[in-house]
Amino acid sequence: MVRAYIGIDVGSVSTNIIALDENNEVLFKLYERTNGQPLETIKKGLKKLKDELGKNIVVSGVGTTGSGRQLAGVMIGADIVKNEITAHAVATVHYVPDVRTIFEIGGQDSKIILIKDQMVVDFAMNTVCAAGTGSFLDHQAERLGIPIEEFGELALTSKNDVRIAGRCTVFAESDMIAKQQYGFSKADIIKGLCNALVRNYINNLGRGKKLEPPYVFQGGVAANVGIKAAFEREVGHEVIVPKYYNVMGAIGAALLAKEAVKEKGKTNFRGFDSLKTNFVPSSFICTGCSNMCEVIKVEMDGTPIAMWGDRCGMWTEKVKQAI
Amino acid sequence: MKVAFPYMGTVVVYKKLLELLGHEVVVPPRPSQKTIDLGVKYSPEFACFPFKVIMGSYIEACEMGVDTIVTSGGHGPCRAGFYGEIHKRILHRMGYDVDVIIFDAINRDKDRFIENVKKVKGKNSWFKLAKAIKFTYDLLQQIDIFDKEVHRIKPYEEIPGTVDKAWQEIQKEFDLAYDKKQLKKAVDRSREIINSIRLKKVDEREKIRIGIVGEIFVVMEPSINMEIEKVLGELGCEVERSQYLSEWVDFNLMPSFLKKTHEEEVLKKGEKYIEIIIGGHAKQTVGFIVDFKDRGFDGVIHLMPFACLPELVSQSIIPKISKEHDIPVLTLSIDEQTGKANNLTRIEAFIDLIRNKKLGKFVV
Repeated sequence: MVRAYIGIDVGSVSTNIIALDENNEVLFKLYERTNGQPLETIKKGLKKLKDELGKNIVVSGVGTTGSGRQLAGVMIGADIVKNEITAHAVATVHYVPDVRTIFEIGGQDSKIILIKDQMVVDFAMNTVCAAGTGSFLDHQAERLGIPIEEFGELALTSKNDVRIAGRCTVFAESDMIAKQQYGFSKADIIKGLCNALVRNYINNLGRGKKLEPPYVFQGGVAANVGIKAAFEREVGHEVIVPKYYNVMGAIGAALLAKEAVKEKGKTNFRGFDSLKTNFVPSSFICTGCSNMCEVIKVEMDGTPIAMWGDRCGMWTEKVKQAI
Repeated sequence: MKVAFPYMGTVVVYKKLLELLGHEVVVPPRPSQKTIDLGVKYSPEFACFPFKVIMGSYIEACEMGVDTIVTSGGHGPCRAGFYGEIHKRILHRMGYDVDVIIFDAINRDKDRFIENVKKVKGKNSWFKLAKAIKFTYDLLQQIDIFDKEVHRIKPYEEIPGTVDKAWQEIQKEFDLAYDKKQLKKAVDRSREIINSIRLKKVDEREKIRIGIVGEIFVVMEPSINMEIEKVLGELGCEVERSQYLSEWVDFNLMPSFLKKTHEEEVLKKGEKYIEIIIGGHAKQTVGFIVDFKDRGFDGVIHLMPFACLPELVSQSIIPKISKEHDIPVLTLSIDEQTGKANNLTRIEAFIDLIRNKKLGKFVV
């Protein structure tokens, strides 16, 4: 029997589950499309984990991160619920101890994290624009009829430089279409797109920041060698893509869960049986005052176990007191 | 006169002054989604967020039958200086028959100021006006002491939510005070309320203090800044804002020979980065970042309305200040589109950054 620490990263596009052993070696790794069904995806993923490792492990800690971290945390009884910026930084520092700059591009977010002496010193996250993120690439790959896995490699075959407007997804797309009409090859256009995304990413997030090597590039998009090459052209330096680039958030959550459990001595994990329970989220507008908050409620087998969104805290507290 | 005013921060104060002058006062509803929707619908698209929220508030107030709105003006080249005028025009075009009385700083246009004062004063004697102003001023000073205090102790409350409730009660206590004696009672009662809150003991070295700077409306009005003070309090941080109403009054409306304000010092601290007044609170923003650092704060959150020009200027200078003074600063821009989840992630990560920096390790 080994002690295992589970990290779950529930993102907009993918849900990732990781199990680490006591020595932080990866025992189990899952990268699954969320498909708009985070609850189902987590359940399925954990079931896989149980089927693969179940008999040999004792779950000693669980951490969640990503945009669905609260829900996932409540559902499985997480020891720690952490934002994805910290989770990513923790994992990267673990694998590349001297890292100074992290480029992270996920489904809807892109982030830049600056590290000094293994500590986050600054970060930025995309604000007004999502042009430089995975979902947009996905969409373009689909539109051009190229599997997303081959997207980056095709970019590397291009000899031409085509400039694509990268400010905003809508303009980028119309510019790409225009360039297609002029007769540029798909490879050229994809390379132009990769350059545009990186340019846009650096302009939006790197503004006013001094970027220093070593650079690490992670998140689902790091699979794209075209984007990696564009980053290297932009910063004029090698960019490292770590082995577990697409599940770094989950690894960070697992590492943090391990720390958390060390501190409090036990885990809150509800056990794999909790997967069988029925979780029903719903929302309502509270009419208690003029705030008219949209309150989100999660019920487990009919009993509310979590509520969010009320500004006065009335509902949140009621649930906390009940359990 | 049936009077209303913009909804910003501790509104009992404006209400009090107008009530003491014998006006019928309508407090507009706390800005809600409905307020914002109304404001966005009837404002020019490229007006800033505070303009839109205030527009919505005015419309709601007009619906409640007010005939006069009293508001303050703006400083320097920032658009806020024209807001009262534009709000008035929009309200008139919508068919509301209201007068908008705009108070600018007294030294800007003395005659206009006095004319406005006369309008608000009505038939009251100057003595009564002075007395009302003095009383409101004292009340404002007192209530702001509690405003600061509740956000200082919020992170240490033993039972979650008690401090928020206490703050609501304190505002109610002050709302009941109409003379000196009642004010004293309100202060005593509020003190009792604060003292009855059970607090956790936290080691001094582990305490985290966050300063909030930025444009006054988004800094002061919790209903539109995601209740940032509360959010930070729940994350275990003491919070102090750059803007409190009492300080605004001291700085903008009191003649300088009567009162030396901290804001003057703050502006000096910012001088190096922004030399001239460029409108809004940009100069205060940079000054306060330095000031918060000098006072031992661990980090600063900078709030700006989306695309607010003065604050965009300060935002572009912030990386330099942050580096020179070694203090982390997080800028959040706020508008009607604010997705709270996204900003929460940033705020949490920012607090992690500060805590880790302070303790020298990744803490869980």
